[in-house]
Amino acid sequence: MRGLVISFVIAAIASAGCSPSAQPDSTAASAAPAPTDPPLEPGRVLSALAPSNLARPRPKPPFEVTGNWFIDVSQNPEAWRFGPPYPKLTAVAQKHWDLAKKYTAEGKVYRDDIGQCWPAGLPLIMTRYWPMAMVQIPTAIYMISGFMNSVRIVYLDGRKHTDLDIIVRTYNGESIGTWEGDTLVVDTIGFRGDHHWMDQGGVAIPAGEQLHIVERFRMAGNQLEIEYTMTDPEHWEGEWKSTKRFNRVIDEDIQEVSCLPDLNEHLQSTTSKTQVLQ
Amino acid sequence: MKKVLFGAALVLACGVSALAHHSPAAFDRSKEVKLVGTVKEFRWQNPHTWIEVIVPDEKGKDVVWGVELTSPTYLVRAGWKSNTIKPGDKVTVLVNPVRTGEPAGIFRSLTLADGRVLTERPARLGTPDSK
Repeated sequence: MRGLVISFVIAAIASAGCSPSAQPDSTAASAAPAPTDPPLEPGRVLSALAPSNLARPRPKPPFEVTGNWFIDVSQNPEAWRFGPPYPKLTAVAQKHWDLAKKYTAEGKVYRDDIGQCWPAGLPLIMTRYWPMAMVQIPTAIYMISGFMNSVRIVYLDGRKHTDLDIIVRTYNGESIGTWEGDTLVVDTIGFRGDHHWMDQGGVAIPAGEQLHIVERFRMAGNQLEIEYTMTDPEHWEGEWKSTKRFNRVIDEDIQEVSCLPDLNEHLQSTTSKTQVLQ
Repeated sequence: MKKVLFGAALVLACGVSALAHHSPAAFDRSKEVKLVGTVKEFRWQNPHTWIEVIVPDEKGKDVVWGVELTSPTYLVRAGWKSNTIKPGDKVTVLVNPVRTGEPAGIFRSLTLADGRVLTERPARLGTPDSK
């Protein structure tokens, strides 16, 4: 399946081009026959990979994120975390925070769902200790993490969020990107609220279904900067802000990575008596 | 005679706390255990490589220790290959043990029979010290 996704993305790049100069402008669109797709059923939106969507005239994007990116931990080895500072927690989240501190003090591991092969989900998937491959085409950015090959798609084609009554909730959510000047603003909702955490390793703050993340992407030389503004009224008060910087990696590609059924059998720390799973 | 030497308590400066896919809190970073034994299995895979080492305990009974390492992504940069060790090799492995006393730990260093020492590489891709 992962191989299929990667092939899918590569095919999209091959057909759509991934550099700004490869995007159609209005002149090119008028000079070449417009691609045609079968008519859509009522209520459907064009796929990000539909030929007519890819060929639609659009302004040249201010920057491209295509590349492999890795969280910058050169100044702070804990920079993968989104706190401290942490926001003021609600009673629901404070209970988990307190239990994590208690069990950590006892040398135990509280609710480490990622270690039990649950998806990291947004935001932690962005700062795992494996690179994130990003491929930008005119209609979307496809992100594939080197950690469990987790796939995240940021749609750039002007669509709106899916109705919450029919959205399939996921750990990475549904991301819609729009350009504001030289900044890409990505709005993400539709998260799963079970086995989903905002931190790891002694800090337990749940991520719930009300989680809403706004990311502001900017390019600064060879660094990608993403400013996070996160709200989840079920678990904390107000806005939780954090800014992350990612280095461009030119000598490493992501690989196939799975949490195989027998993985943890050989990683005794994940099955030891230190684990507090409930 | 192969033996397990429980080293003196050491405080290790290890700031890379999310190198694994799982929480590192299960390991006691203040302790090092020196395993002198024989490789049972070495699995070169993502997201983690692992070694099983057969180590006789104080009574001479063989105990299989599980050693957790980072991914090949970072081991290759530290000079490892998939055939660096194989079953039957005599090795000395330093680990930070799990807190429960079970025979398992997270990798610190490997000494081969020919005296070569291998470690891991910090996960700092995209920076000058990543190589």
